[in-house]
Amino acid sequence: MESRLRVLRAERNWTQAELAQRLGVSRQTVNSIETQKYEPSLSLAFAIARLFGCKVEDVFLPPDRAQPQ
Amino acid sequence: MNSVPTADRAPKPHSSLSNSIVIPLAFAASYIAARWGIKVLPQGSREALVAALLPVPVFAWLIYSIVRGTRALDELERRIQLEALALAFPAALVILFTAGLLDLAGFHGEGNWDLPRLLPLVLLPYWFGLALARRRYS
Repeated sequence: MESRLRVLRAERNWTQAELAQRLGVSRQTVNSIETQKYEPSLSLAFAIARLFGCKVEDVFLPPDRAQPQ
Repeated sequence: MNSVPTADRAPKPHSSLSNSIVIPLAFAASYIAARWGIKVLPQGSREALVAALLPVPVFAWLIYSIVRGTRALDELERRIQLEALALAFPAALVILFTAGLLDLAGFHGEGNWDLPRLLPLVLLPYWFGLALARRRYS
């Protein structure tokens, strides 16, 4: 599942550590989500979307909606 | 859905001092005391039974502390711990069964297959699994 988390974070000039602190998770968790090594739980996905003021599907793109690299 | 810890609802941070130093020391002390008690007290006596069960409450405290610590982890760290334990638990069983069979086969070594000898062997797969899981998500 592709994620726009890195882009959204960069738009706000937040470091991974800052974002992790806002979400109440570790920096490793943020990094793993950004590098697509880990897919967050539904509750964390909602928390991320809420933090960026958008919908879950605007942050996490299902494979059929992901842009070809 | 309440699995995301936030500043308001995060579990109370447990004392890392008690987790990392006090509890293992207490467990080691109770184990040494139990071994000493079993050695000096008459076998089969009530006192020897008390000595043998001495580490159990400390071990229960250790388990409680681990569970509390696990609840304070974030979701990725929980998964890492789960993957480490998924390797460590069956590996520990295999090691214990093998040690038991070696003991029955007459390969006692020095001091038999007792806890001080087995503990590092049982913990090794956990550390190995932890390193593997951390590497996978780093």
